[in-house]
This record gives sequence, structure tokens and C-alpha cells, in this order.
Amino acid sequence: MADLIADYPTSAAYDEMLDAHGQVRQPYADLYPILAHMSAEELRTLSDSLASNYFDAGITFDVGGVESPFPLDIVPRVLPREDWTTIEAGVAQRVRALEAFLDDTYTHGRAINDGVIPRVLVSSSTHFQRAVQGIRPPNGVRIHVGGIDLIRTPEGDVRVLEDNVRVPSGVSYVITNRSAMISALPRAFRNTRIRPVSGYPNRLLAALRAAAPAGVDNPTVVVLTPGVYNSAYFEHTLLARSMGVELVEGRDLECRRGKVYMRTTEGLERVDVIYRRVDDDFLDPVHFRPDSMLGVPGLVNAVRTGGVALANALGNGIADDKLVYTYVPDLIRYYLDEEPVIKNVDTWRLEEPAAREEVMDRLDELVVKPVDGSGGKGIVIGPFATTAELDALRERVTADPRGWIAQPMVQLSTVPTLIGDKLAPRHVDLRPFAVNNGEEVYVLPGGLTRVALPEGELVVNSSQGGGSKDTWVLAGSSRPPAEQRPVESRTSSLPDNLVAPSLPRPTGVGMDTSHKEQVQQQQQSVDPEEASC
Amino acid sequence: MLSRIAESLFWIGRYIERAEATARFLDVHLRLLVEDPWTSEPDACGDLLSLMGVQSDEPSRDELIRLLSDDPASPASIVSCWRYARDNARRAREVIPSEVWEVINTTWHQVPVDRRDRRISFFEWARGRSALFSGTARGSMVHDDGWQFLIMGRHLEQADMTSRLVAASTLVETNPWPAVLRGCGAHDAFLRMYRGVQADREVAEFLLLDQRFPRSIMYGLDGVERSLEMITPARHTAAGRRHEAHDALQLIGKMRAELTYTPMPEILEQLNERMADVQSTCDAATKIISSSFFSVDDLTAWTTEGTR
Repeated sequence: MADLIADYPTSAAYDEMLDAHGQVRQPYADLYPILAHMSAEELRTLSDSLASNYFDAGITFDVGGVESPFPLDIVPRVLPREDWTTIEAGVAQRVRALEAFLDDTYTHGRAINDGVIPRVLVSSSTHFQRAVQGIRPPNGVRIHVGGIDLIRTPEGDVRVLEDNVRVPSGVSYVITNRSAMISALPRAFRNTRIRPVSGYPNRLLAALRAAAPAGVDNPTVVVLTPGVYNSAYFEHTLLARSMGVELVEGRDLECRRGKVYMRTTEGLERVDVIYRRVDDDFLDPVHFRPDSMLGVPGLVNAVRTGGVALANALGNGIADDKLVYTYVPDLIRYYLDEEPVIKNVDTWRLEEPAAREEVMDRLDELVVKPVDGSGGKGIVIGPFATTAELDALRERVTADPRGWIAQPMVQLSTVPTLIGDKLAPRHVDLRPFAVNNGEEVYVLPGGLTRVALPEGELVVNSSQGGGSKDTWVLAGSSRPPAEQRPVESRTSSLPDNLVAPSLPRPTGVGMDTSHKEQVQQQQQSVDPEEASC
Repeated sequence: MLSRIAESLFWIGRYIERAEATARFLDVHLRLLVEDPWTSEPDACGDLLSLMGVQSDEPSRDELIRLLSDDPASPASIVSCWRYARDNARRAREVIPSEVWEVINTTWHQVPVDRRDRRISFFEWARGRSALFSGTARGSMVHDDGWQFLIMGRHLEQADMTSRLVAASTLVETNPWPAVLRGCGAHDAFLRMYRGVQADREVAEFLLLDQRFPRSIMYGLDGVERSLEMITPARHTAAGRRHEAHDALQLIGKMRAELTYTPMPEILEQLNERMADVQSTCDAATKIISSSFFSVDDLTAWTTEGTR
């Protein structure tokens, strides 16, 4: 690879593989030599095999109606153990704090009464759902699955960029990326101990079963998808398949007397837990958008009366509102009495006049985001915006200051990425996934590393043509208890009476050499010409 | 039909099934070695090799691949399985439809030479070729006695190989069932039937006893029994003796009964031993089938006596 990174540019950003002097960082010490031994063609061939592997498996992304393989880069992102310890603790802490915040906000409102967070901020959020006010889910969990987006600053610190506690997507790619990389780079895996990710569906299923309404012994779990045209449909099928549960659309479900049923060939079958991948607004035409074809009429009532559990819960959107994000460190201190393990990115609240004034003067150097957007929609990056765009932005912010926040432009860290036949730095973020089963918050080792493929691009999002990388969390030399099999179910020694697979009779067909010679002689004797020469 | 042809067909069935099962076995266990970073490679590889009936002095990942996949000199390798299958097919060419012969022959000729970095795709290929053979054979062969010998071999091998894959579960230090299920091609099927619950008991039940799943041990034994019943002369022989193949039916029936009526916790307690029982039953049944249908032992003895 020496020539592959010959003119690898150094920049202001933190590169995950090479330090400022071009030296290989410790986490990449085992991987680098393997990559270094490959020529550009070899790397390209492997990269193509990743793509064709994805294409064959149907792991594709719709780009303008054309199916193309979900872009997976051949160079993985490697996280050292120490970093992961911090991230794991930080993500779990954040999920716990947001759970507490949601629970409090939809019941007593302590934090609001104590002045930790302004009342108007919550009630003005577009995602605040009055329908679930006062409703507590059966096992108290609202964030069954959370995705916390992290970035690394030029100084090498990890910061939280945003929280996703509505329907975070992308975890299927964590699983398929790993399996594709094992096929493509088996040698790399033999040199490095990497924490496995294949246990995720089991964890998720356990958490979903734990969320079932009280009194249900063997809950029926389903995954609710908007349908085949949804861009994350592949993920919905993978999760349903790997959990062995039914994948349903709204029209497959029916509410009767506060219970939910699915329509099967054997009649109606009760559903206890719905892992829904449909937004709040489309979930129930009775309560939300009456024109929704994706939802189930009566679902909200079933949730309110405890007939069915919904994961993630309704109304979680207030917790990943970007203005609430600015209060999360305070919420962590308030609810958990802990200091935040991972800091936020500095953020101006534009509804505060002083902050707004400062930001308006510096619009051209800041990043301005709508508070309820996701998927990189509506973000304006000051330095890359035209004067007209900035003027338009200024008007919109003045009209609705509650709707916007501003952040300094952070140079996200970079990882070498195969572009053409060269490795070039590309900006990445990281979305670890947390699963809350009510007793503990499990963070899947790794997460989805998303890559902004255009040079210098800082908005990293798969709905905007981003790529991805397999994310390796380096493992220690001993097995963590979570990966350990209960001792009583292991016997570990083989019996003495092992039997080798049967073989044909030695004198039977195909084994008898003397017979073979005879046959050959027969042939020679009927062909005297050949015998003579 | 000719005993010789019947024997060839029987072994074609066995070897092609063995090639497929070995490919699955290697695929999941090589992945597991990679995915589970805390396994000791030599121990794991040594155990896997002994499970497949192969001895090695210095077991390692490369040895595992050499002995079970690549080395034409190792009788247990996938490559050898296909060679034996082809050898047998050549002897039975006149009764095998030409498209079936072509599948076997082209597979043998197409065995990829450079398999180093294409490891996983080689296994996929091997699996695909076995599947192609099964589909072509089923769609083009008359379902006569010859066919019964072919699928009897296949079912016998399949019961045997599933028992080895199940026994491998006891060697894995993490939850072994996803890998074992994948090895039997049963992962998705199992998850759908049992709604994702992966307890030892449920998986063992599925892989050992489920008569609807085409790779369970029970399904294999059932298949052997069906074929045997169809080809064994129902009435007693002229001399009034029972046909010898009834012994094989008895053995298979006994094994089925043992699996069916032994309480599952008891089986799980001695999973390895039980699986070894399945293997010995398959082996013993093979010997009886050989001697009663193929060998015509006295005749072979007569020819070999002169040449030795």
C-alpha cells in the first residue's frame, strides 16, 4: 500500500489510521501491514467483490430508482479498547438519561418544575405527543433501541452530535458489513481480535419480549414496516428474519377492543409487541395523519390501554429534538447525578437573543441545523453556502428561532477510503446502537461508521449518498462474560467412540487398483497398434 | 438392476451430500474461528478434524482447510468427494441421464484452482454444485430402484453429517447454535418456526427430530427407511430366510425409536455420545446395505483369491 497512500494528504482533521507525522496509529498496527502488502488492483478486486456480494444478497440502496449495492469500503474503522470503554459508558448513560427525561416529561414533569428545562421547549416540540401523556410502558422502557451519533474532533476527543431515539436505522449494515468483510479479508481477522456483532438480533428480541404487556407469558413480537418501497426495507426484513418474527405492514394488523391482531390464514392472531419502523405521524390514522395508509386504526388506544407494547414508544421525538440535545448534559446531572461521559458539540440555542445575535454575525462560518430534522435534511454549512442561501437562512431563523440551532464547523475525523485506485481521507462519524431491555442498556460493540464519499464533504448520511465501513472494536485477550456460554451447557470433550464417515468397501467400486489395471490391459489388448508403440 | 450400478449410485449420493455438508461445516466453523476471537485455534481445529474422522498431528486452520477441502490426497476433502462421485458416475454412465453426468463432470473439471482468498465463495460454489446435482437428478431420473439407492445414500450421509454438526456444538465456547443451525442450512427455518428462541433444547429438537426439516437426523433416517422398504424384497427368499437388508431396517428403526423416545434432557446430557451412536448406526447400516445388495461377497472373494 506504500504507493496507495504515497500522497495521502494530512489535514486539520484527526485521521484514525495515521497520526500527524504519517505514523500508523496503534489500533491499525495489525491491519496496516496486510493492506500495505496489497497492490491497488488487489484492493480494487476485493472492493468489487464486496459490492457484488452485496448485490447478490440484495443488500442494496435505491438511488433514483436504480438498485445499487450499499457502499461498503474495504478499509475498516478500528476503535481501540479504551475508546470503546468510554463510548460504551457514554452511550448507555445518555440512553438512561433520555429514558428518565421521557418518563418524567410524560408523567410528573419534575425537571420542568425544577427549572432544568423550560416548559415551553417541551410543549412546543413538534414531536410531543399528548396522546401518551401519563402512559407508562409495561416495563418502563421507551427507548428499546437508540442510536447515538458520535464524531471525533481534531483533538481526538469523541463528542455526541445527535441522539436518535425514534426509529434509528442502520444496524442491519453493521451485521452485513461484518459478514462481508470476513469473506473478503479473512487474513485480517486472523491477526486481530475483534468483538463480534452477530448477537444483536438476539439482544433485540430479548428486549422486545421483555417489553410485553404484563401477564403475557410467551409474547408474539412483530416488526412493522411501511412496506417494500421504504429505503430501509432491507433492514426490516433482516431484523424480522434474524429474530424469526413476522414482518407485517399496517394492513396486516387489526385492532379490536384494545388488542392488536394480525390476519393469518388461521384467523386472527394476537400481537403483543410491535417493533415499529413507521414514524409516529403515520402510526394511527385515528390519532395522527388521517390520510396515513401505513398505520393501524386504533393502535394508539391499544397502547394506552396496555393491550400492546410499542417499541420504540410514541412521543420519543421530544428527546432527540436538537434543542433538547443542548440540555442533555444538564439532564444527565439532574436525573443520574453523574457527569456526562461524552460531551456535546458546542451549540448555540437560537431562541436566546444573545446567541442569535452572535450567530447571525457569523453565519458564514457556522453550521445551522433545524431542530427536528433527521437524515441531514435542511442543514446549512456556512462556509460552503452562497450569500443567497445565507440570506434565506437568516430570514427563516428570524421567523422561527425555536426551530434552529447553530454549531461551530467541526472537522470530523477521517479514515483512509478507497477512491478510484488510491486511498484518500474521507470524513466519518459513528452511530453505535443501544438496546434497553429494562434492566441494562447494551451497546453493540462497534456501530455503523458512515463515510462522506465526496472529497471534503462533512455531512455524513446514507440518505445523501454516503458510504459505510465495518467498525472493529478491538477485544482483549480474555472473553468478556457477556460472550461466555453458561458452563453447565458445555461438555467440551469429544467421546472416545467417534466414528469416521463410511467409505466404500475396499474391493468395491472405485477403490480397487488391481481391477483397474486389468481393465486397462483389456483395452490395450484389443488395440494392438497402440500396444506396439 | 446390476449390483455394481446400485453401488455406484449409492456412493454418488453419499459423496455429493458429503461434499455439501463438509462445505457447510467448514464455512461456519472458519467464520466462527474468525468471529469469536477468543477461541484457541489448534484445539478447535483438532476437535473439528476428529469430528470428521480425520487425524492430524499439528491441527491448524490451514490443516483444517487442506484436509477437509483442498487436498486431493485427503479422502475427506471436498475435492476428493467430487472425484469419488465422478469415478462412480463414470461407471454408471449408461444409467445416469446425461445432464446429471454433465453436472458431476463439469463440477470436477471446474474445481477452482486458486482458493486462497476466495475461501468463502468456494464453499458457496461447492454447496451450489451439490444443489444443482440434486435438482437435476430429481427432475431427470426415473424414480426406480436406482433412484432409491441414490437418495438412500444421500439420506444416510445427511443423517450422519447432521449428527457431526450437532456434536460440534459442544466444542464452542459461546452460544453455538447460530453456527450449528447455519451449518445445517437451518438457521432461517428454525428462527421462523421457533420465533427466535434459541435454547439448547429447542435447537436439538429441531435438528434431531423434526420430520419436516430436510436436514434433520430424523428426516434422513426416515428417508433411508423409505428407500430400503421399497427396494428390499418383501417376501422371504426362496430358502425361507429373511432378506438380509431387514437388519438394516431394524437398525435404523431402533435409532429412530431411541431418538424419539429418549427424553430430550437425557440426550442433551450426553449429546456427543448420542451423536456418535447415530454415526455408528449409519455406518453399520451402510455395511449391511453393501453386503446385501452390492457385494455378492463370495464372487468378489473368488476373483480376488486368484489375483492375490
